[in-house]
Amino acid sequence: MTQATHRDYVLGVWVDFANLFLAVCIFVMRNGMVEDQATIDRIRDGDYDAFEDLVEKYQGRVYRHLRKMVKDGRQAEDLLQETFLSAYKGLKGFSGSSSFSTWLFRIATNAALMFLRKKRPESVEYDDQINSTEDRGFMPASPEFIRTPLEILLSREGRDKIEAAIDSLPVLYRSTIVLRDVEGFSLKEVADIMDTSVAAVKSRLHRARNSVRETLSSYYTERNLSAN
Amino acid sequence: MKTCKQFCDKLSDYLDGEIAADECRLVEDHLEVCPPCALMYECLKTTVDICEQGVSDDMPEDVKTRLKMFLRTHCKSD
Repeated sequence: MTQATHRDYVLGVWVDFANLFLAVCIFVMRNGMVEDQATIDRIRDGDYDAFEDLVEKYQGRVYRHLRKMVKDGRQAEDLLQETFLSAYKGLKGFSGSSSFSTWLFRIATNAALMFLRKKRPESVEYDDQINSTEDRGFMPASPEFIRTPLEILLSREGRDKIEAAIDSLPVLYRSTIVLRDVEGFSLKEVADIMDTSVAAVKSRLHRARNSVRETLSSYYTERNLSAN
Repeated sequence: MKTCKQFCDKLSDYLDGEIAADECRLVEDHLEVCPPCALMYECLKTTVDICEQGVSDDMPEDVKTRLKMFLRTHCKSD
């Protein structure tokens, strides 16, 4: 087998695997959407317990998103309550054109942005600055970061560093990276939730990921050097 | 001829499968022959991989309880 033929074969296997993975993802996602729709139908029929099932299913994720947006546990709790109350009252108007989770996260995001614009306008209005070296030219990456074992990267200390790196981003950037890389929404869904274009989401995600990468790379470079 | 920075600017979209097949091939070819960019890609991929597990979705039990009580009070009164 020539090198080119072998490469095409590997590529073909990879494409088959990717298609299978995509099909499984779509199946799981559609099942989740159908399940939510059935629960929503029960709520519309007056079954309050069904609403509590939806709250139970999504409360942790929505709380995490709000906590990252406003960086204040107490305020995130108030916004969480406001989000689910708005969702309950607005369920009659939920058309199902997007998934329930996208719709719910849009309500939460809007509530948090309204709060921030009212209480901390500077945190939203002057949001274009991001602490990244990317605009100052190409910066080589550090091997120390990827050499660090996963159990250290995801230890209590490691997770604190990830949270701090995300928290240091301006709100629109940290919301974008949380919705995409933590919550797993597609780029289109993130754009819908944040009421912006997919191009804007890609741009924010690129800058946010690189800023977090730089922060973590610097931290693990220093940490590993001081340990040696 | 693209510079390393131009390739690195594509890595986030590449990770998301958001670049065209021909451009994807160009990125992969470049990563094979350019160790600094390959390292940059590994760092970015590691960052994305650990983000999901790095941010906890733990919610304090008292916050859950207050949410349930709040919603029962305000939704059922409608």
